[in-house]
Amino acid sequence: MAIAATAGSLAARERTARRRMVNSTMTAVLWGAALSIIVLLIFFVGYIFYLGVPVISWHFLTSPPSEVAAGGGIGPEIYNSFYILVLTLIFTTPVATAGGIYLQEYARPGPFTSLVQFCAESLSTIPSIVMGLFGMLVFVDLFHWHFSAIGGALTLTILNLPALMRVTQEALQTVPTTYREGSMALGATKWQTIRRVVLPSAIASLTTGIVLIAGRIFGETAALIFTAGTSVSVGRSAYDLGLFHQAETLSVHLWYTHSEALVPDVTKIGNGSALVLLVMVLLFNISARVLGRALTKRLTGK
Amino acid sequence: MLAIIAYLAFMGLRLFIVDHVSPLVFLFSPHFNPDANHPGALVFILGSVFITAFAICVGGPFGVAVGIFLSQLAPERLATIMKPTIEILVGIPSVVYGWLGLTLLVPFIRHLGSQTGFGLLTAGIVLSIMILPTVISLAEDALRAVPHALEEGSMALGATRWQTIWSVMLPAARSGLTVAVILGIARAIGEALAVQMVIGNSPILPEGLLSPTAALTTEIVTDMGSAQEGTILYDSLFSMALLLLLIAMALILAVRGALRRGL
Repeated sequence: MAIAATAGSLAARERTARRRMVNSTMTAVLWGAALSIIVLLIFFVGYIFYLGVPVISWHFLTSPPSEVAAGGGIGPEIYNSFYILVLTLIFTTPVATAGGIYLQEYARPGPFTSLVQFCAESLSTIPSIVMGLFGMLVFVDLFHWHFSAIGGALTLTILNLPALMRVTQEALQTVPTTYREGSMALGATKWQTIRRVVLPSAIASLTTGIVLIAGRIFGETAALIFTAGTSVSVGRSAYDLGLFHQAETLSVHLWYTHSEALVPDVTKIGNGSALVLLVMVLLFNISARVLGRALTKRLTGK
Repeated sequence: MLAIIAYLAFMGLRLFIVDHVSPLVFLFSPHFNPDANHPGALVFILGSVFITAFAICVGGPFGVAVGIFLSQLAPERLATIMKPTIEILVGIPSVVYGWLGLTLLVPFIRHLGSQTGFGLLTAGIVLSIMILPTVISLAEDALRAVPHALEEGSMALGATRWQTIWSVMLPAARSGLTVAVILGIARAIGEALAVQMVIGNSPILPEGLLSPTAALTTEIVTDMGSAQEGTILYDSLFSMALLLLLIAMALILAVRGALRRGL
């Protein structure tokens, strides 16, 4: 009897020991996975800086690219990236915020609402290259705009509408229902409530979301190759507001020089462009945070 | 949305209706020979499937592990570093991932004994990293949505932290985790440029992990620039785009199904 009990508790103790060991092993594995993500990012950023910093010069950042000889810059590409970004935001933001406000504040559950939701979800999983082909069919072929800044911007608008709508909805969801009820109880109309109460308290997270999406628009490539084109010199001066001119962006330039262009200093251009793109992404992320925090402070006094 | 589907369906079906190419040839022939009226896209379909499967097998568990860490183990300090880290990983443009793959991974794989360094393995690794942020944040959300009572109950019964995660949290978050993986697949199969820069772009069936091949997206990027409107090549590229669109829609339906059935 006594011996059996001892054997039993021995086995139990062994099991406990094994459980503990599995637990600490798996905890270590999970820690390892998480830390390796941070290491990975630091490594990527460090490596791109290491490659890119020697390339960056005032000349590289401001001069036009060269077709065949070495020594071309990326000035017009940087300009085009910002130009298309601004155009896209002008088109996207009003539509997406209106759509988001409608879905979150007005829409009742029903076939129409779920159809809109379903369309938004499907739109957001369509590969950007497929969207690029659609943009090409409509803006380049059907409208005869050829490769153009506006065609690229409109394609990016379709591509990013669902994401921005989602951001708006999520920002509005963070506003407590009690705010709305309080405002309505004071006799405000639905629109007054949204305009004066809901939007101001959601504006911080909305801004953060928009800036993060702006970063994504800045780096988008696949949808632009066949809509905005791969040249900065067809029928225009390098820096103008021509909506219907070809407008190769920086990210497209990085892809294009690598795979199609004839210049001998491809590696150099690639290293420099990758660094500029990365720095822009970092800037967008940091400014999203700073802006979000500043706006929260200013508007809610927290 | 409907306009996009209609227009792409119209363009994508031209190959079969106007050009009289059999859909069977398009789907199952490994010989991509549009000039000879024989645009078999099997190589590209398999290429897409292989690299996506690779990315999910590597990036999926890894991403879920980080998701578990963030939702269960991470000290608050570390979590505040991880969140922006993941956001920046999302924000890095795909061409920059491609460029990293090209300058970092390709020479490394060449050392491993591949002739060029371009190929399935290289593309698969790049994609594994690119789907990480998607999988991580969705897995984290899924695990956070599990009621606290379940976790506390399990711990109160004497389960270790890992036993709780493995036998209680993961099963409870099953549908959310399925969604994370499906959307990871969607991200991987639709990625064009990063893959195009490292896969080698040769329309041949791969013999192994190290051999170069092509995928649906990369073939579109590679040949659309030179395709003349109305040719078999042009039409078959649109058929590939339509196929990608259908895959994306199927994945969204799968997401809805997983959420509804609580799988």
